[in-house]
Amino acid sequence: MTTTAVTSAGIASEAPRSDFGRVLAQRERRFAAALLAPAFLALLATTTFPLLFLVYTSAFRMDLAMPFTNGFVGYENYQVLLSDERFWTSLLVSLVYTGSTVALQVIIGLALALLVMDLKRGQGWFRVIAILPVVLSPAVVGMIWRTFMLAPEFGIVDFLAINAGLGSKNWLGDPTLAMVSVIAIHTWQWTPFAFMVLLASLASLPEDIYEAARLDRASAWQRFRRITLPLLRPAIVMVIIMRTMVALTAFAAIFTVTAGGPGTATEILNLYAYRKSFTELSIGYGSALAVALLVVTIIISGILFAIRRAK
Amino acid sequence: MSGQGQVSFRNIVKMHGEFAALKGVNFDIKPGEFFALLGPSGSGKSTTLRILAGLDAPTAGRVLIDDKDVTSTNARDRDIAMVFQSYALYPHMTVAENIAFPLEMAKLPKAEITPAVKDAARKVKIDHLLDRKPGQLSGGQQQRCALARAIVRKARLFLLDEPLSNLDAKLRLETRAELKKLQRSLGVTAVYVTHDQEEAMTLADRMAVFMSGEIQQVGTPAEVFARPNSIDIAGFIGNPPMNLVPARYVDGDVIIAGHRLKTTATTRGERDVVVGLRPGALRMAVGGLGARVDLIEDLGDTAVLDLDCAGTMIRMRVADGNIPGEGDTISITARPQDIHLFDPATRMRL
Repeated sequence: MTTTAVTSAGIASEAPRSDFGRVLAQRERRFAAALLAPAFLALLATTTFPLLFLVYTSAFRMDLAMPFTNGFVGYENYQVLLSDERFWTSLLVSLVYTGSTVALQVIIGLALALLVMDLKRGQGWFRVIAILPVVLSPAVVGMIWRTFMLAPEFGIVDFLAINAGLGSKNWLGDPTLAMVSVIAIHTWQWTPFAFMVLLASLASLPEDIYEAARLDRASAWQRFRRITLPLLRPAIVMVIIMRTMVALTAFAAIFTVTAGGPGTATEILNLYAYRKSFTELSIGYGSALAVALLVVTIIISGILFAIRRAK
Repeated sequence: MSGQGQVSFRNIVKMHGEFAALKGVNFDIKPGEFFALLGPSGSGKSTTLRILAGLDAPTAGRVLIDDKDVTSTNARDRDIAMVFQSYALYPHMTVAENIAFPLEMAKLPKAEITPAVKDAARKVKIDHLLDRKPGQLSGGQQQRCALARAIVRKARLFLLDEPLSNLDAKLRLETRAELKKLQRSLGVTAVYVTHDQEEAMTLADRMAVFMSGEIQQVGTPAEVFARPNSIDIAGFIGNPPMNLVPARYVDGDVIIAGHRLKTTATTRGERDVVVGLRPGALRMAVGGLGARVDLIEDLGDTAVLDLDCAGTMIRMRVADGNIPGEGDTISITARPQDIHLFDPATRMRL
């Protein structure tokens, strides 16, 4: 009798409290969901739905020039894509463009950051000047380069090339030079981003471990290799990830400068998908190309994030 | 590779713009000595250590190590090991990698590095933590790791910049004793910066007391304690520090609050002085200076009394079992040899 009384009393005193807690938690969850809902719905409508619609479209033949051939084709677009030489070329151009611009941004950005860290004065000015290209629209940057910098005879770059004895070059007409040019333009615009992230990261490194390293007889190069670089690693990997995403999907700067040309020399996958969809009006196949770009981006970012997690 | 570790500072001046951090510092450290640089914050002791390490350059003067002028020698070429106040461990390396770093920089073969790292870690009792990163260590363990990194190299000079200040009180006492034993067993010259006079007193063979950019006294802890050179040092050394009371000197006696005390001085004449009285040197005696007990701080085995002698505050240390009550009036005196006299104008010892 006594034992039962004690246990039931224990339960009785316990039960309302946990009930109360559960109700409270439930209410909070509901409130949290209500707060989350608008942003969540907006995201669904602007990203998830278009993505799904893209995948859906890629299963159709949707040719605005020849509407009578339209209809469901399953994965035929992807079969065509795999044997489409222009697809593979544009994928290669995308990878070269992304790899070289990201590598250049990190190397030049890091070198600039190390240089500016050692400046006793003028760091602030340097930062202000450095941010200017970043705040420009890529389309504007493309126009500036096409007209002011690369125009034959009158562009600054060509003017310098002539004066350096290299002679006037057709910067945007020669396939190799056009590729070099679009890589240079992207690097010019976005290196300041890498520079600023790495500078902030450098500035946060403690001074005293460098003093300890000096007393431990590390040379400047050893201090950089053994201390600076490992400590900057998270920032460098983050810059690589962010810049890779953007470079893979670059569009405006190339579009305004070369529009993918000459021929297909600077036609990255993104541009090919655009040309296919909106110039040749083959929406279904264009969608398949865009999905392919999405898959490539996901694979590359997956690899990068795996590197980031690894030691 | 390891030399003697003899250090000389010759007229070292360090200016920060208009501000003189060091105003002509001179001292000599003998090989194998445990030498403390003691002073309140901002007195120039850390600057002195950084100049010795080669991390800062002096504005004027010369630094000699083992009779060689190293004033313009690079920090990495001075053969000096240092423990930083912040420990300055390399956060991305394990304890073992941290300790091995100076050896790797010296291009020692790997076969020699591993046993040397283990040996250094064992000496400071962190050989079970070799695989941890600094972020996974407690403050005391980090401090030991920094110590191990400094001793592993067997440098000729061992610099310590307030190494105990970030430890809790109990650990500080333990580490203090171990540090002294470690330095003795290694036989290395150690230069130790601290603002804690008790640390300097207990650890150092000799010490230099810094006051606003100058060394005011160099000597053994006992010497500095027994005969402080200036009012500033007298007020800095000892816990609680020396009582400093304005008084009148008349023919070998001093008059404090109307009461006459004998001193060891024999000069005739009359002048204003500052009298220094160690709290522990004061005695209760009939017919002495009358004082009212304002406050008692009981420390267990001793107690510190705050006394009011006709408006002058005097602190006195008494043994347990001899403690008067608060509000009591007692009579105190001091032996002539325990009375220190200072010039109020120059603030120096008379």
